[in-house]
Amino acid sequence: MKRRLVATAALVFLLASAAFAAYEPGSDMTVGFIFVGPIGDYGWTYAQNEGRLAVEALPWAETVYVESVAEGQEGPVIDDMIATYGCDVIFTTSFGFMDGTVDAAARHPEVIFGHASGFKRLPNLMTYMGDFYQVYYLNGIVAGALTETDKVAYVGAFPIPEVKRHLNAYAMGVKASNPDAEVHVRWIYSWFDPAAAAEATEALVAEGCDVFAFTEDSPTVVQIAAESELLSFGHYGSQMYQFAPDYVVSGQAIDWGIIYVDFLQKVYAGEYTAENIENVDYWWLMTQGAVYPEAAPGVVLNPLYIDALKAYMIEDPVYGTISAYDLHNLRYAQFADPGVTFDPFQGPIYDRNGNLVVPEGMWLSVDSLITLEWAFENVVGPWPGEPE
Amino acid sequence: MSWESWIVSTLSRTLAYGTPLLLATLGEIYAERSGVLNLGVEGMMIVGALTGFAVTSGTGNPWLGILLAAAVAGAFSLVHAFASITLRANQVVSGLALTMLGLGLSGVVGRAYEGRPLLHALDEISIPWLEKIPVLGPGIFQDQSPLVYIAIALAVLLWVILFKTRIGISIRAVGEDPATADSMGINVARVRYLCVMVGGMLAGVAGAYLSVAYRPSWTDGMTAGMGWIVIALTIFAFWNPLLGLFGAYFFAALFHLSYRLQAWLPPELLKAMPYILAIVVLIVVSRGTLQKRMGAPSALTLPYTREEG
Repeated sequence: MKRRLVATAALVFLLASAAFAAYEPGSDMTVGFIFVGPIGDYGWTYAQNEGRLAVEALPWAETVYVESVAEGQEGPVIDDMIATYGCDVIFTTSFGFMDGTVDAAARHPEVIFGHASGFKRLPNLMTYMGDFYQVYYLNGIVAGALTETDKVAYVGAFPIPEVKRHLNAYAMGVKASNPDAEVHVRWIYSWFDPAAAAEATEALVAEGCDVFAFTEDSPTVVQIAAESELLSFGHYGSQMYQFAPDYVVSGQAIDWGIIYVDFLQKVYAGEYTAENIENVDYWWLMTQGAVYPEAAPGVVLNPLYIDALKAYMIEDPVYGTISAYDLHNLRYAQFADPGVTFDPFQGPIYDRNGNLVVPEGMWLSVDSLITLEWAFENVVGPWPGEPE
Repeated sequence: MSWESWIVSTLSRTLAYGTPLLLATLGEIYAERSGVLNLGVEGMMIVGALTGFAVTSGTGNPWLGILLAAAVAGAFSLVHAFASITLRANQVVSGLALTMLGLGLSGVVGRAYEGRPLLHALDEISIPWLEKIPVLGPGIFQDQSPLVYIAIALAVLLWVILFKTRIGISIRAVGEDPATADSMGINVARVRYLCVMVGGMLAGVAGAYLSVAYRPSWTDGMTAGMGWIVIALTIFAFWNPLLGLFGAYFFAALFHLSYRLQAWLPPELLKAMPYILAIVVLIVVSRGTLQKRMGAPSALTLPYTREEG
């Protein structure tokens, strides 16, 4: 009897140590994903799940996921994933999972963690983000060229640095093609609230705006703008195109997969382990191909608007007379160039209160970009948290 | 910006956004008048939204979608009716369960409909002649969903039934004093079942309005808390269908204006405004004596057990 007990205990211990052993480079790995929304939303989580599918396609990786996890509830879900599936790597894909992920990474030092859009790291916790600001700049060039009322609209989720950065980049693009145009903004204080997005859009329509960009995870703004025959840029573009194929001009798209695959390949090769990723922070942009403008799958600009963009001439300080179409493609090429020869946040830049926020000859660092609070000069409307 | 455009956009958006609130509030008024608090409005609305969308995209007929949304959400509300009337379970718990069940079920079943555009949305209509009236025409009678006018007609009809007919007396009697109503020969359980079901049907139509008219598409969780506003509006309206009409439109006007006024007033304040007002009214109304006078059913949330001799 006693011997049997000892044997059982030994077996349990063996199994337990097998389950909790650190990942052996070159072996098969199990990768867990924790999603904040349903994978069928039109935005963030849908794109994240596409990234997961890219991982699933790796011959040595298999994936598991849990969707619609409320922020703050990630801790037990992570524990459960590790206990049930023996995950070697876990990605938590929402900013609000940050603290729970940090705690879980401390509890499970043998597991490798990645947290999207956050800034806290540990030896076994890296951070990653694909950022849209360059894409919004390109969308802004198009919006400035196509507006007839010189009022371009933006429906923003929350007035936080991420959305402000995108809005400013959009406004800078608008100014590049149309110095007379204003960018009108409304905030809905939600990442997902179709009714609020609808009424904010209607309010902007009533103000005379005729081209819409937004941050909200439903196609509401696209639909409401199209009802009034007004143009829009899809957020996670290709998903929303089908709701108004004649009115979606372009949009923002992301490929999380290339970030995941790049990171996991380095784990597979033994370069990244649960002990050395404290300084790993992916901030991937167009150069890496992580983000790109897209109206429909594989279509950068809606063909219906290409003639108008070719006919719209801009006086650019560097390139002289150039069409909006050519300027868009030129900037796109510059963003995608590994040397990165252009950035919208390039001094001198003044905010709308007349403060010099980026001095001549300077580019904003990533740290400044992720803490940005000011509003660009052509932005009209509320701006909570605006510096004096 | 001319003042006419302000009036036109405020009127027209108030009707558009106020309609689902009104429909569901009318239903909840009936349920509560009969003595059954139903916190499952959010769940019944989302079930209606999914049913409306699914049937409309399957058959191409938005009216059929709306009718079936009423039927399915009405049937769904029977879960609460059974638990709270027949089993005499706690109404708060059972209603909350209905909301959670509705949100969860619709999320799972609705997977297949995510991201699908609706080809046969409910068309907007304009009322001939009336739409030509300056300002009021474009504000009220132009490019509105037919459900907007149906909801107004229903508010009047349901007020008449509740306060001017024998049926209404029975409903109110059951909600005020079920024992007396019972001794008068009214079947308490049957009245309550019917009222809960009317509430479910109207919440279903409200949900279908969202998915086939207001913003024709299905998204998981798309009612985004409207059902809770309805619970507050029911009290706000003193359990009176006509006051429900004003309450729903008042809230909708504030909701729309909170976005238009953002250019001048702090958006944080505007965003909170409709809710702050709702809370203030709730506090005022919930003072006991006033509540009695304002029409709160005395037997609300109380299960009825017949005293057998």
